[in-house]
Amino acid sequence: MILNEILKIILYGTLVILFVSVNALFLVWMERRVSARIQLRRGPIHVGWQGLLQTVADAIKLLTKELVTPSHADKFLYWLAPVLVFAPAVAAFLILPLADHVVIRDLNIGFLFVFSLTNVSFIGIFIAGWSSNSKYALLGSMRAVAQNISYEIPLLLSTMGVVMMSETLKLSGIVSAQATTWFVFPQFLAFVIFIISALAEANRAPFDIPEAESELVAGFHTEYSGMRFALFFLGEYTAVFISSAIAAALFLGGWREPAVPWISLANLGPLWYLLKTYAIVFVVMWIRWTFPRLRSDQLMALAWKVLIPLALLNVFFTALMMQVFEK
Amino acid sequence: MIATEKDMKDWLIEVIKPEEMNDRDFLKTGVFFEAVVPKNKIVEVAREFLTQGYFLESLTAVDFAECFEIVYHFNRWDLPKRACVKVVAAKETNGIDGGAGVMPTISSIYQSADWFEREIFEFFGARFDGHPNLKRLLLPENYRSFPLLKSFKGEAAGSDVTQSLELIKEYAHEFEVKTPHSITKKENDYYLNLGPQHPSTHGVLRVLLHLSGERVLGAEPIIGYSHRHHEKMMEIQNYLACWPNFGRLDYVGAMSYNFGYARLIERAMGLTPSPRVEHIRVLTSELNHIASHLLWMGTFLLDLGAFTPFFYCFDDRENILDILEMATGERLTYDYFRFGGLDRDIPTEIIPAVKKFIPGFKKRLKDYHTLVTKNPIFEQRTKGLGILTKENALKFGVTGPTLRASGVAMDLRRQESYSIYPELDFNIPTATDGDVFSRYLVRVREMEESLKIIQQVCERMPASGEVKMKVPKNVPKGEYYSAVESARGSFGIYLVSDGTLNPYRIKLRTPSFSNLSALKTMVPGCLVSDVIAILGSIDIVLPEIDR
Repeated sequence: MILNEILKIILYGTLVILFVSVNALFLVWMERRVSARIQLRRGPIHVGWQGLLQTVADAIKLLTKELVTPSHADKFLYWLAPVLVFAPAVAAFLILPLADHVVIRDLNIGFLFVFSLTNVSFIGIFIAGWSSNSKYALLGSMRAVAQNISYEIPLLLSTMGVVMMSETLKLSGIVSAQATTWFVFPQFLAFVIFIISALAEANRAPFDIPEAESELVAGFHTEYSGMRFALFFLGEYTAVFISSAIAAALFLGGWREPAVPWISLANLGPLWYLLKTYAIVFVVMWIRWTFPRLRSDQLMALAWKVLIPLALLNVFFTALMMQVFEK
Repeated sequence: MIATEKDMKDWLIEVIKPEEMNDRDFLKTGVFFEAVVPKNKIVEVAREFLTQGYFLESLTAVDFAECFEIVYHFNRWDLPKRACVKVVAAKETNGIDGGAGVMPTISSIYQSADWFEREIFEFFGARFDGHPNLKRLLLPENYRSFPLLKSFKGEAAGSDVTQSLELIKEYAHEFEVKTPHSITKKENDYYLNLGPQHPSTHGVLRVLLHLSGERVLGAEPIIGYSHRHHEKMMEIQNYLACWPNFGRLDYVGAMSYNFGYARLIERAMGLTPSPRVEHIRVLTSELNHIASHLLWMGTFLLDLGAFTPFFYCFDDRENILDILEMATGERLTYDYFRFGGLDRDIPTEIIPAVKKFIPGFKKRLKDYHTLVTKNPIFEQRTKGLGILTKENALKFGVTGPTLRASGVAMDLRRQESYSIYPELDFNIPTATDGDVFSRYLVRVREMEESLKIIQQVCERMPASGEVKMKVPKNVPKGEYYSAVESARGSFGIYLVSDGTLNPYRIKLRTPSFSNLSALKTMVPGCLVSDVIAILGSIDIVLPEIDR
């Protein structure tokens, strides 16, 4: 029994890490192609079919690069930070429901588990900025922590409406509750707030303030090179993917096929799930290549003065509507 | 307004001896009158010029055999009333520092004089009494020679610069914070060296930021990293050999620099180029003007974190560069104009190519307005930020779009109405707020106006005409000042000719130099992100500043 459990952990662990790596490579390729389309360019097209192997080549380059540690850095923390950023992003895969009853661990606390895990990665980011002993890195990590703490609130508040309507925190339960209508329709405001907050949580443009390259060179990972830098990179893309996957499960019906009568591909649950997730990822990329960056104080104002009140209003109206319609 | 100018002259005559006041032929020398002022009166004179609304256009020195001349050029925003004021400084025989003697500073009156005086200090060894920060500006601080002295033969330079590793190490110490005068450190404040290696300094510029958290308390631009000393280079070349230098100062808008030099020498020699030459000159300069603004727009938005407009701007710029390549054979550092003419005539395909470009670019400009001008994030980031008041613009000698965004319609193309500009119909776009958004708006509108000019020039272009001219080898003895409007502001050249084959002294008054020095009035109180936005909005080109 115990052996069985250990084997399962090893198997799932390997599968998840494999998926994370391949997925990140794919996302990087996708980002480059999407940005190229938006920017009148062609993007990578030469290495492999449609340039798919370009990111693999880049990964090999990063793996073989020298790991430089700045002379004034705190060596242990400097080493620890990328691990702390990357590991939680991977662990979040445990609870994603790929199809009916296909989920590694269907935890009762559900997506709260993901958000508490991603918070660990902010500690990693702060450690990275602190231990690098560079002003740019420190400024970047200061901004990151302020930003992530602020956006945690609207992010969680926006999911409350969904939780109230489905009466569970379990992702599988939430997906089951969307059998008739996806939650994006009754909870559209919450969906928008969720996407905006998730962008800010993942430090994506227009909220890429912690690593604003035109201001802070590269923000908290200014001093990192080689595979350590790649871990931050992987962590960022995985975080984007996880946020999109959670959004797809909470608002877009997860693995459920669209309720269109002439499409009966009900058995392709994981495919639908991935498709929805990548659709959200695409929107995230689209936003990134369209807007200029906000300033940190404006970002804070957006969270505290706009998103949090709206999210609270949404919770209130959801409760009101539930009372009105069910009694 | 014209009366004021007369007052200024009358006022000067009261201060100095009447025989030291000379009227000058503006069309030939570029100045209306010239006055020699005694050393102890210059501060008083400068103050009067400021109250009369003059700005300090250029300040330099010339090393003559028997004395030094410190030359001040004042100009007005509303009218071309350039005045040249000189102070004669005796040579000090025992001078350890070049011997140009001690001068009173006017940097407390005109802030722009701060950098100009430092430049004179490092090139001529003149010390300015009361100057707050008399250090080397463009050269390394441990440099010991004064290169613009005629006695300087260059032998010291080799030993100075490449002497040993020790010197380099000594110089590296500079990067560990050395407090400039204007910044006094308090507890919990810290310094951030923005540059010289930084993605958003548009070249090698270093800005020493004094921060409290992310709040900026002060900023000090530190320049000189791409200094090549064009002025000295030109002194040892003949006039024709100076052409390539002008293509390499402001490499983004090199055509107006060609224009400036051509205009200077033509006025000095009294040449009049044929109408076809003038039309081609205006056409290529205006195209280059747009290309320069496009490059600015792309990089400025990149600074704000918007990546995509950069590629659109470069796409448009590429079309312009293709057209200019057809005409000149060069894509960046143009070396196209010649005295009284051009290097070569334009090929016949150019006019159709330009005509094809115009509607396409007009459509793009509309796209830019939808994508950028009306973008709420962009507005939020730029409105009310980095305000440059008219008073500060006057004191810092700011020119070009940066000045026009503060509500001053000063454009040398109209003010001095050179070439065929008086015959063309175009407006001078201005904005009133003086903030980053206004500077953006002024530049975008300027592209529209340049397009209007290009359209008219295409229609009026004379079918044929001589593009080359027989010219004398040397410039008649005298002093000349000529200024043209470049994409960044008024670019002036002050030439002292002794009648030989080489220029005796050339001073390049580059617009970004004065514009950048005004940075420190715009940044206090903003955040680090805003510094980048403000720096981007001034549109600096470092090789032009460092020369």
